[in-house]
Amino acid sequence: MAEPASRPRLLLLLPSTTYRATAFVEAAHRLDLDLTVATDQANVFAAREPERLVTFDFARPERAAEESRAFAARHPVRAVVGVDDDTVVVAAVIAAALGLPHNPVAAALAARDKHHQRVLLSGARVPVPGYRLHGLEEDAAAVARTAPYPCVLKPTCLSASRGVIRADSPREFLAAHARLVGILAAPDVAALGTAARHYLVEEFVPGPEVALEGVLDGGRLHVLALFDKPDPLDGPYFEETIYVTPSRLAEAAQRAIAECAERAAAALGLVTGPIHVELRCPDRPRLIELAARPIGGRCSRVLRFGPDGISLEELLLRQAAGLSVPSWQREPQPVGVMMIPTPGLGLLRSVRGLEQARAVPGIEGVELTAHPGQRLVPLPEGSQYPGFIFARAPSPAAVEAALRRAHGCLAFDMEPE
Amino acid sequence: MDREIRIQAEPIDAERCRFVVSEPLLEGGARRFASAGEAKGSPLAVALFAIPGLAEVVVAGGTITVTKTAPGPWQAVGRQVGAAIRAAFAAGGPLFAPAAAVSSEEDERLYGRVADLFEAEINPAVARHGGTVELIDVQDAMVLLRMGGGCQGCGMADVTLRQGIEALLRKRLPEIRGLIDVTDHSAGANPYVTASKK
Repeated sequence: MAEPASRPRLLLLLPSTTYRATAFVEAAHRLDLDLTVATDQANVFAAREPERLVTFDFARPERAAEESRAFAARHPVRAVVGVDDDTVVVAAVIAAALGLPHNPVAAALAARDKHHQRVLLSGARVPVPGYRLHGLEEDAAAVARTAPYPCVLKPTCLSASRGVIRADSPREFLAAHARLVGILAAPDVAALGTAARHYLVEEFVPGPEVALEGVLDGGRLHVLALFDKPDPLDGPYFEETIYVTPSRLAEAAQRAIAECAERAAAALGLVTGPIHVELRCPDRPRLIELAARPIGGRCSRVLRFGPDGISLEELLLRQAAGLSVPSWQREPQPVGVMMIPTPGLGLLRSVRGLEQARAVPGIEGVELTAHPGQRLVPLPEGSQYPGFIFARAPSPAAVEAALRRAHGCLAFDMEPE
Repeated sequence: MDREIRIQAEPIDAERCRFVVSEPLLEGGARRFASAGEAKGSPLAVALFAIPGLAEVVVAGGTITVTKTAPGPWQAVGRQVGAAIRAAFAAGGPLFAPAAAVSSEEDERLYGRVADLFEAEINPAVARHGGTVELIDVQDAMVLLRMGGGCQGCGMADVTLRQGIEALLRKRLPEIRGLIDVTDHSAGANPYVTASKK
């Protein structure tokens, strides 16, 4: 059946391992967009449905842009959307090649590279932790002697706290460095090239951490949600667990955080689309990371916007496709999500206590994303969550309490390695 | 009936939520109800349509997929759905009228055509990733299916469903109105792609 010519075509870039495929694909269908999904592994229907399924090598954005140009000549594209750190860069390159509105490629690259990002932010006087870039070929003992303690070793190219390790002394530095070398040598990381041969040594900033979820519209920031992270992130690894919004910080502190995030986005040259910003707030905000993508994992499930309660993904696709955005305002009710911590290294056998966790008042859902028999690897090497817990309650404190209680009901049966 | 009924709610999006029930709800096949009128004779469907804002109920095996039109979170609606399911079990007797009573000639014709496509094209394709797709039923030109093997719980299952299977079916059979996936993806033990932190 031929599709009406008036339906805008969206080119959606989905890494095969993303948590967000269903949320974005369903949002595109609700909006009746003519959807083409690009993945890095060929879908089994790609040959039969070449208008709807294409395969790109996301590690080679220029080649993806060439292929997109050929595709768009046959099937005009209205918008290109990436969903994670890597694909937002590819989306920017493709959009530039097709002449579509998007963030400048340089801005997307700056947001992707943690070192480049810090150079631009500190140049624009956006407060960031003190940092220094080092290469793996440097003498680790010499770097350890001059590092500021406590410090954090951080890959420039990974996300979700993978490879991020705190060190309080030269001895801890050397142990962390050895571990980091192993992580950067993993095949999926080494494939990133020179980015996988460098790391940052960064001043550790104590204090509470928050995450700001926002959308840029012509460079102006709409704050969609400000999440408190009530679990202390003091290391040695930085596993994200609980996010609760609205924030319990004072109004003035929240304004300062939003101003800091907006200035940071401007410093990188970002003008449109989602941003996910992580900040430490010992007194005034210090920006830890800014990514030109929406919140990761399945966390967006707790976010609803406008009178019809549309999803974050629908909101983002509306903006990208030039459709009306009914509201940037999140519903007022406190919500939260817990990224279930990886219980240890080994094969997951089963999870007990799901029914009890789901029965906890305030819990909206418990979703296991790991399957029996799956190998779980904790931080700093790992890159998967066993699952997510979602809560909605009358107050942020009640949301947090519900998440903790539900998590306490879960027991993971593992076969340790 | 005093056995414990365990119900697991899995919201798909703001409009749809899948409820996985520990006891079978419907033996064989699937049923789709698009209105309270269609629910007559099926006690659980009637009870579900008494919940304000419900637009569609699809039941297959031990799962019920509910679509609502009212905005807002699933929490309150989910509790009502759970209560209706438990009350229906407690009342005893059949929960749903037999499916054959409502199958139309057009649906039967479509079922045959869709089954042919599943056998000739769809299943050979998904088999390359260790997957299977089972045709459960065609009701009111809606195709009800269940994924298995590498498709069950796969991070890309929805891409395969919407961009592959649905696109192929709509192209070959334009009278098809849509697809309903009744798979319990959380039970997938061997998905082709597993999501990771990205």
